[in-house]
Amino acid sequence: MAFVEQLISNLLYGAILGSVYGLATMGLSLIFGVLRIVNVGHGAFIMVGAFIAYWMFILYGIPPLISLFLAIAVGMAIGLAIYMLVVKRLVDAPELASLLAMFAIGIFIEEFAKQIWGADYVGYSWEIGGVSMLFTEVPFTKLLAFASSIVIAAVVYVWFRKTKIGKAVRAVVEDREGATTCGIDVSRIYALSFSLGIGLTVLSGVLVTLFTPVGINVYMGGEYTLKAFVIAVLGGLASPWGAFYAGFIFGLIENGSYTLLGLIPGVEPFGLTRFLSSVVLMLVLLVKPTGLLGGE
Amino acid sequence: MLLKLEEVTKRFGGLVAVNSVSLEIDEGEKVGIVGPNGSGKTTLYNVISGVYAPDGGRIFFEGKEITNLPAHERTKLGIARTFQVPRPFGSATVRENVAIGAMFGRANAGVDEALEMADRYLEMVGIYELREKEAKLLTPLEKKLMELARALAMKPKLLLLDELLAGMNPQDINRILDLINKVKEEENIATIAMVEHLMHAITKFAERVVVMHQGSKLIEGPTMEVLNHPKVVEVYLGEKLKIG
Amino acid sequence: MRNYTPLVTLLLIYAVMIAIGQGIQGMWQPIMLVIFYIAVGQALNIFLGMTGYVNFGYVALLGVGAYGMAVALGYYTDLGLIPALTLGFILAILLAFIVSMVVGGIALRLRGAYFAIATIGVNEGIKYLILGGKIWGGSSGIVLSGILRKAYGAETMRFLSTVFADAGLIVVAILSGVITMYILNSRLGYGLIALREDEDAAKVMGINVRRYKQIAFVISCILAGLIGATAWTLKLTYVFPQDVFAINYTVEAIVIVMLGGAGTLLGPVVGGLIYALLKYYLTIAFPGMQLLILAPLLIIVILLFPEGVVGYLAKAARGTRFEKFVR
Ligand SMILES: Nc1ncnc2c1ncn2[C@@H]1O[C@H](COP(=O)(O)OP(=O)(O)OP(=O)(O)O)[C@@H](O)[C@H]1O
Ligand SMILES: [Mg+2]
Repeated sequence: MAFVEQLISNLLYGAILGSVYGLATMGLSLIFGVLRIVNVGHGAFIMVGAFIAYWMFILYGIPPLISLFLAIAVGMAIGLAIYMLVVKRLVDAPELASLLAMFAIGIFIEEFAKQIWGADYVGYSWEIGGVSMLFTEVPFTKLLAFASSIVIAAVVYVWFRKTKIGKAVRAVVEDREGATTCGIDVSRIYALSFSLGIGLTVLSGVLVTLFTPVGINVYMGGEYTLKAFVIAVLGGLASPWGAFYAGFIFGLIENGSYTLLGLIPGVEPFGLTRFLSSVVLMLVLLVKPTGLLGGE
Repeated sequence: MLLKLEEVTKRFGGLVAVNSVSLEIDEGEKVGIVGPNGSGKTTLYNVISGVYAPDGGRIFFEGKEITNLPAHERTKLGIARTFQVPRPFGSATVRENVAIGAMFGRANAGVDEALEMADRYLEMVGIYELREKEAKLLTPLEKKLMELARALAMKPKLLLLDELLAGMNPQDINRILDLINKVKEEENIATIAMVEHLMHAITKFAERVVVMHQGSKLIEGPTMEVLNHPKVVEVYLGEKLKIG
Repeated sequence: MRNYTPLVTLLLIYAVMIAIGQGIQGMWQPIMLVIFYIAVGQALNIFLGMTGYVNFGYVALLGVGAYGMAVALGYYTDLGLIPALTLGFILAILLAFIVSMVVGGIALRLRGAYFAIATIGVNEGIKYLILGGKIWGGSSGIVLSGILRKAYGAETMRFLSTVFADAGLIVVAILSGVITMYILNSRLGYGLIALREDEDAAKVMGINVRRYKQIAFVISCILAGLIGATAWTLKLTYVFPQDVFAINYTVEAIVIVMLGGAGTLLGPVVGGLIYALLKYYLTIAFPGMQLLILAPLLIIVILLFPEGVVGYLAKAARGTRFEKFVR
């Protein structure tokens, strides 16, 4: 009975965490969808957001929900700078070049952060009480993270559907050449999408800090890069909405399998969950390579 | 019979690019394939050479079914093609490009032999002096000649040419047509299909013509008879008939 | 025609390096660092350089190779020195072979960026399989020094971790170069270059692209496994998952290949030389900041010199009498 209770509360937790995962993957999918660039340095931007939340809280007592605004602004500025300096020149270059460049950018950000903040784990605790749900006590902070993720995703959704520029972005995703002939300034859309994609990713890093019991450090991103790719691939890679939904699925799988793996004696369930993420990534790509490859 | 298509269909989403086309090409034939832009000629080549699997129908080569054979195995059997928009292996030299054809095509040559063959075919198409140049640096015309050399070096039984002559001046066109005829005799590349918009090249080259229209085979038969057929004239009405 | 002359250049460079290392006091250690990085670059180049595919899981292959040797020496010590060592090399090759067949068999069905994405999890996956499954000592790794000293004596152990480990690595490094040269002169090499430039066109030219990619991948991975077995397990006499699956080696290998010139024979040599010396002296000058300096370097190389040093030199040498020696 205890096991079932634990499974259910872990699944509940998985769904809440999944919303943040989904949000944390939207930027990756947006950038891939529009620019066809794979941001293998993704996790580093989540780390930046996490540190923004940490320092705002520690230095000024600003709660994470307020830091969200700062995070998206900082993220968009970083994204724009990276686009102007590097990505712009690589949009039409061979895939190898943009893959390696994004990889290097991620590492640069981590190492730069290490010079400023060191490599130690740090954390803060934002205690605002909780509520009892199903078999478990859920802190309000996590519920707020859940609600914010959904609100932010909804805002982005409305922006895509209703505004002129959002529609232009969608047009570019669907048909690059067609969009150009319709008079859309594709390079502006690229700059905007890249900037927004990084902005959303940094923003999600703020919410991630509400789910990291061991705290954060400058190398925390690697784990989220891997998770984000599993989620993005589950969600179809080029679709921010697919990514958001897939985040929920992944949160459920991750926490469900964690609980189940805990039943196996002599293993360490946390490590095996991460092993399973890698296997899922490959298998999804294997089972559905045609869908992901588009034409072929 | 060298090549036989049975009701071959290829769709892209809702668009039927090739619609239930049946076609036979005999050994030794020179066939012209014509049709307005977007009528499915290149797609037909793509289905024959194995770039796309057809959505319906069957394909036979020398009596053997190849419908589901991967592209590289079809090449080994003796199918070679050029691309409408040339596709050189950019960072390799011109000579290496042609040698790759000789190595992996039906010719199946070893490295040394392939490089020698490359020189010979480059000489033949008239760009021998460019052989050490990186292929991506060639002009579009030179790229087309290189593609021809590469396809010839494969020693195919069936050669599929896709708008090879487009963009060439009349002297070059005549030179290449003569060359192709000569190769056909001397090199034992017996069967050639040519997709072309240039009607005078078709009339000069082809014994038989297949006309494609909106993905379907409109009509086929002896060259002059087909090209003057009312149906064909109607299809091309509005399209400028590129004679001369 | 086939040209093996660049091997002369390659062997000359090794001869000079070994002479400097043996002749000048204090130079052997930096020279072995250079050779390690050349080897790491050369093995990766066979896949990344020749196919244009990025393998983000590269270091995992050094890791499994290191474990192969460690398992043999640590768990089968009783077989005696020579059989245990032999088994170590066999296991290193076998594990690298199995991992590369599985990963390649799945991921090489995917094109370009999708392949790279599929390999993002490989390194983490294997690391956490060992940690989470508590395999081969889990997080406590395999520590060999005590075992080896007890079984074979202190003298033998020192010989193993110095002369033998270094010689083994040099052999693997040179072997990687020779294999690269052989590939560049063979049908395999021509096929790989073709598929790197245009995979669809390569198929139509009659190249079995799946098979060729897989062959290059497996060769690259096995050589990486041998580097792990010699440069890490034999040299250091311990293996910890956190160390052998450290992603920075993947980054370093990529930097070396791109810096020197992807798809060339001498590229990894030049790239390895520049990189290792840079790193050696940067580590002294700016401890802990290598990656901070390396990452922008990689970006600059990609943006401004995508062909790398040797790619550029080979072009410059075309038509001169040095042409034959550079590739
Ligand atoms: N890969 C593809 N994806 C989607 N549609 C395609 C694809 N290839 C071709 N088509 C469509 O199929 C139809 C036939 O194209 P195809 O290239 O075969 O025509 P074609 O007869 O060769 O024309 P042209 O004379 O202009 O070369 C066209 O409408 C084209 O847009
Ligand atoms: Mg066409």
